[in-house]
Amino acid sequence: MRTDVVRMYKDVHTWVGIISGLALFIAFYAGAITMFETQVQRWASPPVALSPAPAIERTQELIDKTLAARPQAERQFQITISPNAEAPARMMWLERAPGASRRDPAPMFGSTLAADGSVEIVQIVGTEVAQIVDVLHQQVGLPLDHEIAMPIMGIICLLYGIALVSGTIVLLPSLVKDLFAVRVGKNLKRMWLDTHNVLGLFSLPFHIVICLTAVVFAFHDQFYDVQNKIAYGGNLAAKWEEGEHHDPAPRGPVIPADELLRSVQAQAPGFRVDSLRYGKDDEHGLTVSAWGEDPAYGHRAPTAGWVEVDPYTGKFTETDYMPGMQPAGFMPTLTSFFSLHFGSFGGPPVRWAYFFMGLAGAMLFYTGNLLWIESRRKKERKAGAVTQSRSTIVMGALTVGVTLGCVAGISLTIAAAKWLPGRVGDVAAWHSWIYYLTFLAAIGWAFARGAARAGWELLAFAGAMTLLIPITSLLAAAGLPGTGWSYRHTILVDLTALAGAAALFWMARIAYRRVESGPRDSVWGEAKARAVPQA
Amino acid sequence: MSTFEYTSRDWFGKASAGLVLGFGLALALSSLFAILAPGSGGGKLQVTMWMASPIWVTILGFCFLFRSGRAAWGWLGLANGIAFGVLAAVQP
Repeated sequence: MRTDVVRMYKDVHTWVGIISGLALFIAFYAGAITMFETQVQRWASPPVALSPAPAIERTQELIDKTLAARPQAERQFQITISPNAEAPARMMWLERAPGASRRDPAPMFGSTLAADGSVEIVQIVGTEVAQIVDVLHQQVGLPLDHEIAMPIMGIICLLYGIALVSGTIVLLPSLVKDLFAVRVGKNLKRMWLDTHNVLGLFSLPFHIVICLTAVVFAFHDQFYDVQNKIAYGGNLAAKWEEGEHHDPAPRGPVIPADELLRSVQAQAPGFRVDSLRYGKDDEHGLTVSAWGEDPAYGHRAPTAGWVEVDPYTGKFTETDYMPGMQPAGFMPTLTSFFSLHFGSFGGPPVRWAYFFMGLAGAMLFYTGNLLWIESRRKKERKAGAVTQSRSTIVMGALTVGVTLGCVAGISLTIAAAKWLPGRVGDVAAWHSWIYYLTFLAAIGWAFARGAARAGWELLAFAGAMTLLIPITSLLAAAGLPGTGWSYRHTILVDLTALAGAAALFWMARIAYRRVESGPRDSVWGEAKARAVPQA
Repeated sequence: MSTFEYTSRDWFGKASAGLVLGFGLALALSSLFAILAPGSGGGKLQVTMWMASPIWVTILGFCFLFRSGRAAWGWLGLANGIAFGVLAAVQP
């Protein structure tokens, strides 16, 4: 490799990294949390006062009685096979105002059969905390309209792509020498660089996948629009419909829900059905899809694949997104793109792997920023400066404030999920405000205190906020009045948060020691000008 | 004769060529796939859309290997011209 090429790409890597690194940190940290969005959602969902779900054999009775009471539910409702905290009723539906779009919020209702066989209907006030973390992930933390945030996210991902190419080229010449060496010691920059290289190289395939898929998620509308003009002669909409034929007329009696479920299980034994989703409109008539998981295969949606089932025969009508039954051709390839981004294959072990790879990705961007700061310091020192320049002070404070503000904000807003219901009106808005105020306060703190002191203080703060998650559950489990609820089966969420808090406190301790003993011209050292003679 | 040395000085010329003409080339090549490759249906429509991403990112990543911004605009412009020319010729 020519040294001038390496030098050029080193410059490129530095600049794209410093522009996109903090946004990518937020995307990766929040993304790691979304690996367990179902579990977080379950942890955060308030219990619902509703009789237990009827036997699965009585599901059709439940549907018929509910639709008799609430006819508008027939447009779209869901049958949950094993109701749980985040889907607490066997039958659930959204009551949308006529003409409302799918994105508009709508109240959710659930129903069950009471002991006397009458239908029982309650409004379900769920939680949106998992959704809020997911949006942070998708929009790299930007509190903007989806349509505005996504292209910005896309630009960040293009920079990320350039960073991957340039970082690999820069590392190539010294690959053999540097690969297995993480030199922990006096030379901090060397240690951070080694860490950055190891993280980057070993997770390179993961990063390539995440980058290319995220560019698609950001720009798919633009790609389709241009291709519609130059490849399809403006007929893209018609091409989507090709080969589809809808017959809205009923073709005989509808198969009862429990029989439909058995039919699905018979046709796909490895597929664990989580829910049946019913729909009815003028164009398609009655439709049913079965949603669930088969850990042996990849899934198109973040937590599920699905199959269209004929409600009159029980036979599968479309298996395009059915794990293991996708028609040969393009569909399985496409599903692999999605599931490689979502980690929606292989069950819990892969989710944990993705969780840690997401955290490692966040570390990659964090160490990248540290390297920028340390290199600047060395360059400036050579040029004769003894104090830090404004750019390293600003970047140091931003790095500490943004990353730890994100960590603390996510933890606090998750913990708040058990305190907000019943106390405030718009719970979702409160979750957003809690996150962003914590985030901004952390950045403000980092600027006010300087990166060095704020570093360990905010680490300890983030640890404390994360500790609030298991403490909240513990208080509720102890039965303290006004403390929400606690589920035994979500204890893993509490334990994971506890481990996270411990890790943050440990890092705070290390950072505190470094402030005491680090070089005083470092952005990480406390300035002790009087104690150290001028160099 | 002095030998050529790469520097990051002309980054804006190169990167803007990669961004704009890389987008054009990615869309032209994926559209050629749409028209020339066998198969049809929703799966192919989606794969065609997906193809744009790796092509665009690859061009953006390697566009710095052009010797100058002018060279980047020239060569990528030429590639766009050829790709869109073929695309016009094969329009169904």
